[in-house]
Amino acid sequence: MAATALSFFTSPTTPKPTPPITTKTPIPRTNLTFFNSLSSPSPHKLTFSPLVTRSSTPEAPVIESEPAQIAKLGSEDALKGEGVFAVVVIGSRQYIVFPGRFITVQRLKGANVDDKIILNKVLLVGSKTTTYIGKPIVTNAAVHAVVEDQGLDPKVIVFKYKKKKGYRRNIGHRQPNTRIRITGITGYQNYPAVTLDS
Amino acid sequence: MNKDKIFKLAKGFRGRAKNCIRVARERVEKALQYSYRDRRNKKRDMRGLWIQRINAGTRLHGVNYGNFMHGLIKENIQLNRKVLSELSMHEPYSFKALVDVSRSAFPGNKTVITPSEKKGLSMLV
Repeated sequence: MAATALSFFTSPTTPKPTPPITTKTPIPRTNLTFFNSLSSPSPHKLTFSPLVTRSSTPEAPVIESEPAQIAKLGSEDALKGEGVFAVVVIGSRQYIVFPGRFITVQRLKGANVDDKIILNKVLLVGSKTTTYIGKPIVTNAAVHAVVEDQGLDPKVIVFKYKKKKGYRRNIGHRQPNTRIRITGITGYQNYPAVTLDS
Repeated sequence: MNKDKIFKLAKGFRGRAKNCIRVARERVEKALQYSYRDRRNKKRDMRGLWIQRINAGTRLHGVNYGNFMHGLIKENIQLNRKVLSELSMHEPYSFKALVDVSRSAFPGNKTVITPSEKKGLSMLV
């Protein structure tokens, strides 16, 4: 896995004018195709009957600072995408994420509170009926998240001691972390799936 | 560290280690050394635990841990052991899909059918 785990940028539809964050890495080309796929199928879902397949609908976003477009879509398909989860790599650690829940990850430098994040390194997507197993990643799949908090872990007392040498160090340490709220999992539908019989 | 901090950390210790500053300081310092060491050991211990959990999960499907991981590596599936163990506990269907992928990637897995063997033995006995 390369060190370029994620790319931040403010979403184009955010109402408040937050300055775009300088990306550490150039945004991969897959992002562009992904954005198209987000905008094109979502009106489909609305025009079709609301009983579309469970796995293909994104979860209702919980955050109130959502753009109107996505919020409308979410209210329509609320609680339809339940049971969808993904395994995503954030900062060379892997997390199982569910839409609507939050996770605490290592500090994402350069991210501000209420920024939207798109995580591209999705290793696995599972829904109630199908599993998409990435080899190694599920192409075009993305996990959308919102930065909720830039915090600190509980304090750890680092006590170093060498006997008979007069050496002792007592240092407090609080590891910086970032809490992100998962808003949705998208873009995995075209990947070859492993469908379960039962 | 001053006395108050020592006593605060010594809460719940046994005997004089919670009341007397001389004993308490000794025990707290030793405890902090252990916690420094065990923050490192925790990583090893957890990995061992995850491996045991994955092994238990895969054996339900007749594959042992080593062959399962070999199949995953052949297929270039880069899920780590923490995630695999959590999948085996909480997402049994996805885990079964992974076992199936691994089994087809490494045909050596197909010969191992432990659960049915056990059942056959219990029938005989």
